[in-house]
Amino acid sequence: MAPPTPSSHRPRKRRKPDSSNGTVTLNKATKQEQPTFPLVAFLWPARTANVSQWIIIPIILMVAFLFRWCTSLWPYSGYQKPPMHGDFEAQRHWMELTIHLPMTHWYFHNLEWWGLDYPPLTAYHSWILGQIGHFVNPSWFALYLSQGMDDMDLKVFMRASAIVSEYLVYIPAAVLCVRQLAKLHNINAWESSIALTAILMQPATILIDHGHFQYNTVMLGFMLATTASMLAGRPLWSCVFFVATLGFKQMALFYAPAIAAYLAGSCLFPRLDTPRLFGIAIMTLASFAVLFLPLLLGTAFDTYRSVPLPTDAVLPPPPMSALPWQVAEKAWYYPYLVQLTQAVHRIFPFARGLFEDKVANIWCAVHSSGIHKLHGYDSTLLSRAALALTLASISPPCLLIFLKPRKELLPYAFATTAWGFFLCSYQVHEKNVLLPLLPMTLLLATEGGMKPATRAWVGYANILACWTMFPLLVRDELRIPYFVLTGLWAYLMGLPPCSISAYTASYEDGGLSIVSKLIQLSTYAGMVAWHVAEAFVTPPAEKPDLWVVANVCLGAAGFGICYLWCLWRLLQESGILSDLGLDKKSVNEKKAQ
Amino acid sequence: MAEYPTLLQTSLVATALKVLLWPAYRSTDFEVHRNWLALTHSLPLREWYHEKTSQWTLDYPPYFAYFEYTLSQLGRFADENMLHVSNLGYDSWNTIFFQRATVIVTEAVLIYALYLFIQSSPAASKKQSHAAAASILLSPGLLIIDHLHFQYNGFLYGILILSIVLARKKSGLLASGFVFAALLCLKHIYLYLAPAYFVYLLRGYCLGPRSIFDIRFGNCVKLGLGIGAVFALAFGPFVYYGQMEQVFSRLFPFSRGLCHAYWAPNVWALYSFCDRVLIYGKIATMKVPLKDGADLRLTAAPYLKLAIDRDAVNSVTRGLVGDTSFAVLPNISPRMTFILTLAAQIVSHPLKNAPRQQKLKPNIQTHQPALIKLFFTPTWHNFVSTLTLCGYASFLFGWHVHEKAILLVIIPFSLLALTDRRYLGAFRPLAVSGHVSLFPLLFTAMEGPIKVAYTVTWLVIVLLAFDWLAPASPQPRVFLLDRFALLYIAVAIPLMVYCSLVHQLVFGARYEFLPLMFVSTYSAIGVVGSWLGFLVVFFTS
Repeated sequence: MAPPTPSSHRPRKRRKPDSSNGTVTLNKATKQEQPTFPLVAFLWPARTANVSQWIIIPIILMVAFLFRWCTSLWPYSGYQKPPMHGDFEAQRHWMELTIHLPMTHWYFHNLEWWGLDYPPLTAYHSWILGQIGHFVNPSWFALYLSQGMDDMDLKVFMRASAIVSEYLVYIPAAVLCVRQLAKLHNINAWESSIALTAILMQPATILIDHGHFQYNTVMLGFMLATTASMLAGRPLWSCVFFVATLGFKQMALFYAPAIAAYLAGSCLFPRLDTPRLFGIAIMTLASFAVLFLPLLLGTAFDTYRSVPLPTDAVLPPPPMSALPWQVAEKAWYYPYLVQLTQAVHRIFPFARGLFEDKVANIWCAVHSSGIHKLHGYDSTLLSRAALALTLASISPPCLLIFLKPRKELLPYAFATTAWGFFLCSYQVHEKNVLLPLLPMTLLLATEGGMKPATRAWVGYANILACWTMFPLLVRDELRIPYFVLTGLWAYLMGLPPCSISAYTASYEDGGLSIVSKLIQLSTYAGMVAWHVAEAFVTPPAEKPDLWVVANVCLGAAGFGICYLWCLWRLLQESGILSDLGLDKKSVNEKKAQ
Repeated sequence: MAEYPTLLQTSLVATALKVLLWPAYRSTDFEVHRNWLALTHSLPLREWYHEKTSQWTLDYPPYFAYFEYTLSQLGRFADENMLHVSNLGYDSWNTIFFQRATVIVTEAVLIYALYLFIQSSPAASKKQSHAAAASILLSPGLLIIDHLHFQYNGFLYGILILSIVLARKKSGLLASGFVFAALLCLKHIYLYLAPAYFVYLLRGYCLGPRSIFDIRFGNCVKLGLGIGAVFALAFGPFVYYGQMEQVFSRLFPFSRGLCHAYWAPNVWALYSFCDRVLIYGKIATMKVPLKDGADLRLTAAPYLKLAIDRDAVNSVTRGLVGDTSFAVLPNISPRMTFILTLAAQIVSHPLKNAPRQQKLKPNIQTHQPALIKLFFTPTWHNFVSTLTLCGYASFLFGWHVHEKAILLVIIPFSLLALTDRRYLGAFRPLAVSGHVSLFPLLFTAMEGPIKVAYTVTWLVIVLLAFDWLAPASPQPRVFLLDRFALLYIAVAIPLMVYCSLVHQLVFGARYEFLPLMFVSTYSAIGVVGSWLGFLVVFFTS
């Protein structure tokens, strides 16, 4: 065999990539560099060969696609589960109703069978997908006849639509956002690629969107685009994207206070910037106008054709009655106002309960653990309490980002605010945990993001979040994908239960403090023990929900700690502490929480 | 120095993907193996090769039946019901999970063999060996055939590689022979590789290194007895029951045609394609009605100049798939193959194979030149090269070849592809064509994206990595061949787009044979091209 002669082609090493970000460790025995966790090993060949981003990114995207599509092979929520089926049927039904009904009926159509209760962008998205699906096979979306359909080809179409939507919105936004973060934090392209892979392989997102079936990544993608625009110093674009985020799913309100605070702060500090303030206000209003424009145009068309509203429509919609002035039915703008208020009425259902099902937030944990039963209280009182607690939890991060509107703080501020909402607010689903997870996972792409401490915290939140969704995933028969994807991600990131390497680093080397280590490792132990118990021990007859309740309580506690950690990091990074004269030493002490 | 990602890391991530594939499409081979589990579990040994409740009778050699028997002992705990012979087509979730899991678990043999392969390679080529091993481990061929279609090739090729690696050291030759003998008793398709083993072990183990007349009787006896014992263990019980004729009739069914239904991309696919083109050529120029009287209207043909009356087309396809009669070109008869074999021997290149009556044996003649080279210079490198050539010859000229048999070429060749850039040049078209030719195995909408995305990803990574790692060759390369290879690879993209999307949009369900024919012909060109390239490299180096 001939010896390798590197001179025959272009040189392999152009420059030594700087590996400050915790991806490379020096083996003390052999004096050789080695990958810190397995994900780095997979990109290792790209490091030494200095491969172009035009090759690495497509490969990452194809691998991410493969795992998503293979998850899609598994059952979806409500598969062959009459009478109501599940989220899959909801999304399919929206396609059915948007392509067949006049636009004025969209928000009035039968609420009982998965009525449309998402903002207009979801409706338009459903309309487009419905049109394409109708072109392929009209029976999939035949009005009324197609309800509860579980045709295999329909599954392929729906799964493909989720992936295509994700690859059109979430994926480009993620690439751009990671690139902006790399620019901001001066991180080399190779380490950014590692972070990008870790973000794209987030198990919770894959499981919910491609297993359970939803289009969360579209909303999260717009959020990433918002973040990327802010990082790129384009606040006007961020307004457009954030309106799109909100317009796709109202749950994006979790981020809204932090975004408003940042944008407002960036107009006021270091000095008042009036044109920017006006620009932001006008752009936001204009975006909202564009968001509702198709609905209003559709209303105009239906009014022109004199299409009547459904017979069971309740007029006027409740928010309209709450308007301070009386609207005459003869007024030209009456039909438009009816549509807008009905949409708002559907999107924000104040009449529902404090929490839905079992979700790992404060209310559900307090209620179901038996510390204090909440069903005796008046619902207005409870919703006020929820509002007060939410405000209390989100005001510190919002205040901080308002006073220190720095780009480096954005992921922390978003994550803290979203955790606050998730833990304390009204009407939260277990799936909403994706919202705080996204900005928190983005931390991997920031400076020191893959050093043991940050990696462990980000991993902790992600794995805990998947674990709290386990009861939901079991209902969808997604037990195996749950174990595979969560296990794979934990393995790739070098985290428990696959490895404890992130916990062996000392605090001085960028590791965790003792208290954090204890908290995290004991939570992991709890999760593992819970899985064993859930699999082999039947709960006592008088407490059939014991395991679910245990899941909720441990989850809520863990998420609470994640909230505190994000808040603490935000406080640390903002520099407020040193402004106030608190020195580094006290910082270290407080870090232990 | 360790290479990253290590084999273990790679296999863990690959396993994650393979587990996610559990609910995916599976072919009738799944039911075949379930039936074998059932019959080995519930029937006594003497009935195994007589049992025919299911149409999928046991047609693998005895070791594989023993293997199924062992699995069935575990299968009891997964789902007792799958082990009833009469439970045809039984596929509960537990059955699927169990069978899919056995494929993944038994693949550990492959991982271990590849690990040994890296360990046994010299320090200078560790990096290259590591890349080759990872490429085999992640092979889209294995993914498509084992984890979607359903077979145990990972396990079987693991044993093959184990045997090849053992043959690398003088001390391992005996064990290598035993392992290969055991492999033959697991699946007899590996008989195609037997000539290379025969010559290599004869020259390297039974004859002295100095002279071919220095016969080492001790070694001969050891090898003979050992291999005899392996075979006796496999076939002994059936000899005892007097069932050998029955066993052989199961192992070598003779009623099949020249080409398998899907047209494995070999010489006969090209031959059939030429025949087809000539039919249309004749029709187009002479406007004659076809033999069976179907009137051939040459339509306006807006998409392809070949759009012809469906009946006629179907009759032509049926002829090709079934008993292989050619409309224009002469039919392939045993006498012709004999003449071609003679001609091949005169030009001293491996060329022709398999008169109809003796399907497997004639390889010994066909590989003579390569085998002679191996006989006179019995190096490990020549051994693996000859294995590859045996694989090529059997695949290209064999009777009723499955497209799955391409692994018989790709896997040994992968071990050599990084020898130098000339080998890589011959490997590239094979890597593309061999895997593209497997695409028709999966035709369901859900699995389409998996096969395409996985294969494309693998090709991009492997071709780039091999390109960086392959050392320059001592001899000058033929640059024209490289250009041809590049062009060939580029054509794969429009071809895949056509076959997976355009054809369906334009023709719907009509002319379903067209994409199959294109894929098969395209792949055949690649396989034949890479074979010629490999011959040139092997005989000039």
